[in-house]
Amino acid sequence: MDYQVVVIGSGPGGYVAAIRCAQLGLKTAIIEKYNTLGGTCLNVGCIPSKALLDSSEHFHNAEHTFKTHGIDINKPKVNLKQMIDRKADVVKQNVEGIDYLMNKNKIDVFHGMGSFLDKNTIQIDGKDKKKITAEKVIIATGSKPANLPFIKLDKDRVITSTEALELKEVPKHMIVIGGGVIGVELGSVYARLGTKVSVVEYLDSLIPTMDSTMGKELQKSLKGLGFEFYLGHKVTGVEKKGKNVTVKAETKKGEEVQIKGDYCLVSIGRRPYTDNLGLDKAGVKMDDRGRVEVDDHLRTNVENIYAIGDVVKGAMLAHKAEEEGVFVAESIVGQKPHINYNLIPGVVYTWPEVASVGFTEEQLKAQGRKYKTGKFPYKALGRARASMDTEGLVKILADKETDEVLGVHIIGARAADMIAAGVTAMEYRASAEDIARMSHAHPTYMEAFKEAALVATENRPIHM
Amino acid sequence: MSLEMKVPAVGESITEVTVASWTKSDGDIVEMDEVICELESDKATFEVTAEAAGKLSIKAQEGDTLEIGAVLCEIDESASDGGGSTSESKPTAKSESSNSPTSEAKATGEVLEMKVPAVGESITEVTISNWAKGDGDFVELDEVIAEIESDKATFDLTAEAQGKLQIVAQEGDTLEIGALICKIEVMEGGAPSSGSSSTSESTGSSTSSNTDKETYATGHASPAAAKILDEKGISASDVKGTGKDGRITKEDAMSAQKSSSKNVSKSDDKPSKPQFEAPTFGGGVSREQRREKMSSLRKTVARRLVSVKNETAMLTTFNEVNMKPIMDLRKKYKEEFKEKHEVGLGFMSFFTKAVCVALQEWPAVNAQIDGSEMIFNEYCDISIAVSAPKGLVVPVIRNAESMNFVQIEKEVIRLATKARDNKLSIEEMEGGTFTLTNGGVFGSMMSTPIINAPQSAILGMHNIVERAVVENGEVVVRPMMYVALSYDHRIIDGRESVSFLVRVKQLLEDPTRLLLGV
Repeated sequence: MDYQVVVIGSGPGGYVAAIRCAQLGLKTAIIEKYNTLGGTCLNVGCIPSKALLDSSEHFHNAEHTFKTHGIDINKPKVNLKQMIDRKADVVKQNVEGIDYLMNKNKIDVFHGMGSFLDKNTIQIDGKDKKKITAEKVIIATGSKPANLPFIKLDKDRVITSTEALELKEVPKHMIVIGGGVIGVELGSVYARLGTKVSVVEYLDSLIPTMDSTMGKELQKSLKGLGFEFYLGHKVTGVEKKGKNVTVKAETKKGEEVQIKGDYCLVSIGRRPYTDNLGLDKAGVKMDDRGRVEVDDHLRTNVENIYAIGDVVKGAMLAHKAEEEGVFVAESIVGQKPHINYNLIPGVVYTWPEVASVGFTEEQLKAQGRKYKTGKFPYKALGRARASMDTEGLVKILADKETDEVLGVHIIGARAADMIAAGVTAMEYRASAEDIARMSHAHPTYMEAFKEAALVATENRPIHM
Repeated sequence: MSLEMKVPAVGESITEVTVASWTKSDGDIVEMDEVICELESDKATFEVTAEAAGKLSIKAQEGDTLEIGAVLCEIDESASDGGGSTSESKPTAKSESSNSPTSEAKATGEVLEMKVPAVGESITEVTISNWAKGDGDFVELDEVIAEIESDKATFDLTAEAQGKLQIVAQEGDTLEIGALICKIEVMEGGAPSSGSSSTSESTGSSTSSNTDKETYATGHASPAAAKILDEKGISASDVKGTGKDGRITKEDAMSAQKSSSKNVSKSDDKPSKPQFEAPTFGGGVSREQRREKMSSLRKTVARRLVSVKNETAMLTTFNEVNMKPIMDLRKKYKEEFKEKHEVGLGFMSFFTKAVCVALQEWPAVNAQIDGSEMIFNEYCDISIAVSAPKGLVVPVIRNAESMNFVQIEKEVIRLATKARDNKLSIEEMEGGTFTLTNGGVFGSMMSTPIINAPQSAILGMHNIVERAVVENGEVVVRPMMYVALSYDHRIIDGRESVSFLVRVKQLLEDPTRLLLGV
């Protein structure tokens, strides 16, 4: 065998798995079909969208809050090309970072389409052309934007997230199909730059997998940004004529709605990507949703092949894939790592940000579990007022009997960073009172976390 | 609340006392500082006064001989003035306890003092290696709370009651048997239960109620701890968490061991740390010294060796053994023996067998002095000196006289392996009647071993060297070993010791005799 481990796909799941394998002393190679490493996350996902989100947020602030802060400037103008260039530079630095890490860990990198010839042999076809053999293979091929069968993606006016990161102009009216994370994030980018954004969502709420309070709060907040919502609307067709796009949708009562815009972003989710992977030649089974089927140890039905990240069941999140990468690497050398899937946080990089971990209130209700709720609004925080970021709240759900924290849901400035405290608390099975009795620095947004814990403990917040 | 009165330390060298007479009777009400009994040591008699007022409950009878620290009697303080103190003692006792001072309080008010237990015949002091529990921790009955090191072994100290731990002796402290190690504020019922948090909070009485209680999270392993435990194959439920509310920390998981035998210690391979580095004088060449604290084992070895030299009439007799017959025998049957019995045929079995035969013929060599009496042992418990990481240890092959070669070899391997892993229990090292020591493995040609007291003799084996010897008037080359028998001349006469050694030589030079018993 040429390698002890070969990883197919170099996204956050794949490259982390490769690094951990190398750290554990395994001879490791990684295969990436694109020219740059890093997968969706680094190239056309988390990193570039965060770059644009940040740029557009600065623009938004310059336009709306500077004056209040006492900064008088001429009316700011969007230089979209510069924004996109800066984003490209951020991406470049990040993917080069992965090259460095591969090199540092002595991981062989092959660029080309990797596909199984049998369970131990992989054909690489692309810039590199060769056959390599491996004792263990980790499938980390990730996902691609999903589409509806009746929508024709021309990638010019009817686009996916990938194209939305490369637009040449600020759309006048962007119709976003799908009110999930990607839709609201990219919608936010352009809404801040002056685009009218309409979100068409089949379900009755935004970010429907999260606690319903989050969706409601986010909707309020985005409305303030000029979003229009068509919730409970089923898209029936997308037509493009020249520079115009018309989205047809149906309400629950069967009324037809037509929305006209100049761009349509299809962000209905992502599908696992296994095209041309040759899973059949290796004998690897897939499930009915096109995902690679794995057991609790992320092993496929073929004993030497593992799969991680978006291509398997579970949330399509970079950090979930990373944990799985480490998990598989350590499992291969006989260690016994753990992943607590319930404690993988979910984050939405709108502004205010949304972040959550653990059970949602809806899940607890469905379980019939007795719980208490502690909510604390950003409005009551000194820090939030000082920073003019008063939108949002922290919501902590705790077991009614034991006081154990069962879920933490935050919408507000820096929620994405704050959620780590929730994860830590829950990994150690802290009670709401435990959090309430820990010192939280003042003035910080984290004080809302402590106050919410005080509310959950026995409804005794200090600052409300 | 009753107070246990112990035999006080009455003098440096006094380890035990005899109860001469009780001046008070069982059930009497005694006043504080009242004389209640008279104790006798080998040096003096002295009076014991009541440490508290209350009802006397006598534990040791007149004529009983007690070690220092042994329980003499108990005084029930609540009985002194009609129970008035009962209600008083509870709240005062527990100001820092997590329990509320009601009659349902879990704290009983009793404080149990835990003393260094008598861990073995010859062990007089122990060192606290480390506390598994912290001061103020809630401990369960029989839960391991500390690891204690004696000169012979390390063992776990388990809680004698459940309750809140108050540590008295610190890590590294050396304590005599019977000395106070810690106190436990005894609590009744289970560990404080999970429900208590909400109730106590709602009554507004909670202060530091988060510590030391058992909750839903007790025994929850942290992410790193969970992985470590899984890899060790240990269930989290078998591990005592030292984290908040009994959570299992990474450290807990790292130090967790599969529980097998309780008494046998975790192997403690930590070398004692240098206390300080001696300063460097001059340049270039090193003039450095290094100081290390003597381990408990080393100290005892030192003390005992000197005392044997001082207290016995020890001398050594020598002989030499032609090892050729045994070596030929071994060469011939080594493979077969190994195949059949899965253990190598070594010299130890021959020496052990030969020694046992000779000991039975010369019982004085297998005897020992006890005061003004001599004890003759009908059995041969052969101690074998083994070099262990912490120093010399001497595990015992029991009833070696009744064992065959295979059994002996297996037992030697078992004991030597345990010795190397520091896993020998005290029982496994106690009570030998004769010792075999093999300096030959390190290349010793000749030595005068020191008796392993209270035994009376020790046989030293040495290296096997080809020497020119005369057989039947001719000089021939033979693999020879000098053997040395050090013995206590107080109990063994020269005739016996020399005859014993000659007999051993005879049996070794003609091992067929072992088979035939001639």
